[in-house]
Amino acid sequence: MPAFEFPGGIYPPERKARSNQSQLQVAPLPALVTLPLKQHAGNAATPCVAVGDSVKVGSLIAQRDGMISASLHASVSGTVTQISNTAITIEADGLDSWHTMPSLDWRIAAPATLLERLDSSGLTGLGGAGFPTYIKAQVAEHHAIDTLVVNAAECEPYITADDLTLRSYPADVLEGAQLIARLCGAQTIIIGIEDNKPEAISALEHALPQAQHPAAIVLKVIETRYPSGSERQLIKKVLNRDVPSGGLPADVGTLCHNPGTLLAALHAVRDGEPLVERIVTLTGEAVSTPGNYWIRLGTSVASLLNGVGLMSGQLHQVIVGGPMMGNPLATLDTPVTKTTNCLIAATLAELPPAPVESPCIRCGACESVCPAQLLPQQLHWYARAENDSTLETLNLFDCIECGACSFVCPSFIPLVEDYRLAKQRIRMKQIETAKSDHAKHRFEFRQARLAREDAEKQARRQARLAQTQKPSTSTADDHSTPEVDLRSLRIAQAAAKAAVKKAEKVLARAAEKDPKQRFDDLETQLATAQENLKAAEARLANARDNAIHKDTP
Amino acid sequence: MSMMHAAQVGAAPSTAHLMRWVIVATLPGIAAMTFYFGLGVISNVLLAGLFALGAEALIVTLRQRPVRPALWDSSALLTGVLLGASLPPASPWWLIAVGVLAAVVVAKQLYGGLGHNPFNPAMVGYALLLVSFPTYMTLWSPPQPLTADTLFNQTLWAKIIGSLPPATLDALSGATPLDAFKHKGEAVLASEFWASQPLPEGTLSAWRNVALAWLIGGLVLIAKRIISWHIPVAMLGSMMLLAALFYASDPSHFASPLFHLLTGATLFGAFFIATDPVSAATSQRGKLIYGAGIGALVMIIRTFGGYPDAVAFAVLLMNLCVPLLDIYTVPRPSGHANTATHPAPKEPL
Repeated sequence: MPAFEFPGGIYPPERKARSNQSQLQVAPLPALVTLPLKQHAGNAATPCVAVGDSVKVGSLIAQRDGMISASLHASVSGTVTQISNTAITIEADGLDSWHTMPSLDWRIAAPATLLERLDSSGLTGLGGAGFPTYIKAQVAEHHAIDTLVVNAAECEPYITADDLTLRSYPADVLEGAQLIARLCGAQTIIIGIEDNKPEAISALEHALPQAQHPAAIVLKVIETRYPSGSERQLIKKVLNRDVPSGGLPADVGTLCHNPGTLLAALHAVRDGEPLVERIVTLTGEAVSTPGNYWIRLGTSVASLLNGVGLMSGQLHQVIVGGPMMGNPLATLDTPVTKTTNCLIAATLAELPPAPVESPCIRCGACESVCPAQLLPQQLHWYARAENDSTLETLNLFDCIECGACSFVCPSFIPLVEDYRLAKQRIRMKQIETAKSDHAKHRFEFRQARLAREDAEKQARRQARLAQTQKPSTSTADDHSTPEVDLRSLRIAQAAAKAAVKKAEKVLARAAEKDPKQRFDDLETQLATAQENLKAAEARLANARDNAIHKDTP
Repeated sequence: MSMMHAAQVGAAPSTAHLMRWVIVATLPGIAAMTFYFGLGVISNVLLAGLFALGAEALIVTLRQRPVRPALWDSSALLTGVLLGASLPPASPWWLIAVGVLAAVVVAKQLYGGLGHNPFNPAMVGYALLLVSFPTYMTLWSPPQPLTADTLFNQTLWAKIIGSLPPATLDALSGATPLDAFKHKGEAVLASEFWASQPLPEGTLSAWRNVALAWLIGGLVLIAKRIISWHIPVAMLGSMMLLAALFYASDPSHFASPLFHLLTGATLFGAFFIATDPVSAATSQRGKLIYGAGIGALVMIIRTFGGYPDAVAFAVLLMNLCVPLLDIYTVPRPSGHANTATHPAPKEPL
């Protein structure tokens, strides 16, 4: 099968040789771990231990909160010494005693059991965004998935964690892929890997023949070009499918996982081990023995870098993730989390600060490298001008923030930073609008309810009055034009009924589109319409009664 | 947020680097022109470059902006060099100064400086001079050997005194091939015109060789990825297509495509003027339309308009269309269906 092209892309210096020359190693056990409650996309987990509790490796220490969240487990055995709003600290006892769950056979276990296991293992994507894996695996419930894409492209410079994962555990990663493929119903597994990882490729080629069941696995070696490891770009490249704007890979029948996540999934199911450790690349010119290490979550960056020979004098900055999309650390007193794939201890000469920005000369270099085919230069212009409506028309939200545009900009404009700020500004605005809309709708609901109560009260009074004054027939002075009144009330009732129907439809469509979402605002609007309908019906009934009484003296 | 900055990893050149490369690429063209038309050419370029730096420093100071980065980015120098290279060899110093002031001060800095000028600065300067001082702007002497010291003297005279010795005007005012062909008269057939040897010997080959020298510089720029191929290819393509159509319809009255390609400012304009990124369209489709528009306008003005060459006016006219081109040539972003028409921003720039 041929590889398809995604537009744009760049060829930054790879600098991977610094960390992929040595075997995967195990970092020494930390004496203390700090486990942040939010290491994943969604809500922070809720602590379920107390200070002083003794825990084992794998003991649940914080429960997921809500649907989009992930549980957290102790990564060392020892004593809980501190629980703050954001993290749990555990002092290790050095025994490293484990608490594991029973082993499951993914080939025969019920899907619900497997999902439950992924959930209770606190598994999240280990690539970057940290999306809870059990939710991603459930996508098959409302999308037909035919292909699982294993994202082994690892296109960012410096990072070699997936490379070493594949070299060290090719068979396990493939088995993990089969496990996830079974859960989501994919019949095909495609591994997308850049051609700069020959050893990982040969390891996979050796392991492939034994792993072809139940799903067929295809290995696709692609050209090394940043950002081929971005989900959309990789799916385009290996499957020639375009993930729709604002959509998910599931919309085109695919699911994307990185090798580390698949390995962790297998460990959770086969070995009953929750997610308590991961493989991290420790690299950069400021460390003397760079390489890839199994590292317990919560280990501090400072102790890790010291362990690989940090030369503090030469250290300029530490970057979490890759140099293209990663972030510089404000302090080394930061723990490794589920999404930490790489730590770069860079010298000043290695990754110096950006030169002073100069004006954009509209050269178009950014446009030619943009993998999303946006117009970075125009986005820059409108972002600085805070022209948000035009930014949205130019599809700012399709930007994947890969940094290719900033990389080639001859004027050294921090384009991605501009886009991030603009996105944030627009999101804040949307939240504000939604809030005020919701307030307005709640107010309308209250008005409608009062009107309905009023109408019903009126109807009751009228009924009482009619009953007591049944004999007397000349009470209809105030209803001088009953026919017109009746007719307009009937129209109002029909309109209110239509409004209820419409509100129901809008809500149903929204819920179908995004079943996991709550639609408070739409519910309120529906309730308002219902109140209006009731009020209209009460008024109509009332008027009818009157008319009948009048007609039958 | 990319921490790998282009300048450090050597992946992409800086703006100043781009500008300097364009200046370097003008050298073959300037050398060829100097060879055929005398030292007036190189002195035009040097004076214009000098004036441009001076004008930039002055106006940037008046605008209370840092002077050093503005000069360092070499954009003013490039504007000066390009304008200088477009002027006739016998241009007096004040002509150059007026052109440079119009280019650097009015066309560029008064619009907000580098990156903000809607019009190509060098061509604004050139167009202003062409309409204001037509006598001086058509003083293209016939090619003469470099050693001809009369020309040298007259050129220096113009540069220093600022006027031309009256007796020499005749000697200086030769016609360019485009000029000559334009004014051949309706009754004269092209074949008769060429048979009458309308130009001094060597004129055509001199212009051809100058054009080829500009082509070399332009190809260097494309090879070094300083400019993209889109604008030159589109411009030359549309010119050649139109020229071929005209020529095929009536070879006795219209010049051949090759004549249009190798005379006048065609190749210089295609690689050095139309490719100014600031005043050109940005999307690749936009660049193709922009270049094709320039080519078509050059042919139309050359053939039916009042000026023998038309690169400056064609470029300026297409500069006017750039905002519109930018709006209507937004590429389809990945993940947007083919069928969904891509909405252009509702409000203009």
